[in-house]
Amino acid sequence: MKKISVSIIFLIFIFILYFIQVGVFSNFGLFGVMPNLFIILVLYIGLFTNSVNAICFGIIIGIFLDLLYGNTVGLSAVMFCIVGYIASYFDKNFSKENKVTILLMSIGATIIYEFGFYSLNGLILGYDFEWFKFIRIILFEIIYNSLITIILYPFIQKSGYKIDRIYKKNNILTRYF
Amino acid sequence: MNRSKQTEVLGGIITTIILILLVFLSNVEIGKLTFFESIANTIVSPIQNMFISLKNKVGGHNEYFSNIDDLIIENNELKEKNRELEEKVRELEIIKADNETMQAYMNLSQKYAEYKTIPAYVINKDISNLSNNIVINVGSDDGVGVKMTVIADKGLVGHVISVTKNTAKVQVIIDPASTVSCSISTTEQSLICKGTIDNNQVLRASMIPTGAELIQGDSVSTSGIGGIYRKGIYIGNIKEIITTSNIIDRYAIVEPAVDFSKLNNVLVIAE
Repeated sequence: MKKISVSIIFLIFIFILYFIQVGVFSNFGLFGVMPNLFIILVLYIGLFTNSVNAICFGIIIGIFLDLLYGNTVGLSAVMFCIVGYIASYFDKNFSKENKVTILLMSIGATIIYEFGFYSLNGLILGYDFEWFKFIRIILFEIIYNSLITIILYPFIQKSGYKIDRIYKKNNILTRYF
Repeated sequence: MNRSKQTEVLGGIITTIILILLVFLSNVEIGKLTFFESIANTIVSPIQNMFISLKNKVGGHNEYFSNIDDLIIENNELKEKNRELEEKVRELEIIKADNETMQAYMNLSQKYAEYKTIPAYVINKDISNLSNNIVINVGSDDGVGVKMTVIADKGLVGHVISVTKNTAKVQVIIDPASTVSCSISTTEQSLICKGTIDNNQVLRASMIPTGAELIQGDSVSTSGIGGIYRKGIYIGNIKEIITTSNIIDRYAIVEPAVDFSKLNNVLVIAE
């Protein structure tokens, strides 16, 4: 029951984040580059729930965004799904106690998502790949996403561990060893 | 008796002197008596001033107390008037904005009079850094279909890639997935314009024929090849020509005429 209510909260959160992204961050870019709040959300879901949940929410968010803006349907979904899976992998192998690890995870997730998204889109739709410009964009996005992660860290940690307790009741102490 | 006579004489003398003095003083110009006047003033003025100021104060307060009700009424009236004026200003601002939109549509329709067009405005822009699609407020209910061309007052915007009942997704020409077949106005030679992920929102014109002579500032418009865009829709001007060691690889940077960051009103060309 608690898991269902958490999932509903996540669904509501997707809409809230969408409106923040569209309303706020679309207008306040860092050198014209916007952050991607959904990467942080999928990472969060992957870190504090389980891989199945993260993959499901990754697909939901991806399809939602693809339907709204994408040239094709499914590419964002695939990439968010991968980010969700990697987040749960991070959860199993790294500690979440430290601010720096969370920060590095957010940087890693941003790189994986954007790189995958750009290359897959490029291969399917026939882009002229411009890697230097891509690196410039991704660098600013990493900075922006990291700043948001640092600002949201207290919230991520507090709420994250509450959700963690719901999903990983028994093995919370033993899973690192 | 003597005494009374003396008094009568004295009285008469004093009266005479006073009368003489009066005659004398009445003939003296008043300006020559300033000294006396000033002495009199010096004596009288402090007290007089005190009384005057007291009187003024009391009088002022009197007025204040008597006028406070009027002032409240007047203030309320002015507030009401201010509110009405503010409302009018707001209404006028809305009318002005509407007027500007209508004028923009008018200009657009006149410019592309030969096409049957559907006016629309942009309701959403892509949130990704790597694509630039937009969503407009007309859909299949308004007669919009997939692959219809979308233009703005200055030139080509893109084409519709999907429609719902009330909205349509438009792939703009600066999106990296977009490819437009173009021709240079002066030489009529064809080239391919692709979108980029550049922040400056420019197009990259490639596949330039080896014999073609490109000049900076040449205008580029659609060639009609490909079946999506009609021939002759203006795209922009050549900003820069980048020559490489191999002439086949050379490309040009095309600056679109439409400012995509400020894009609001568009027209969909109905087939």
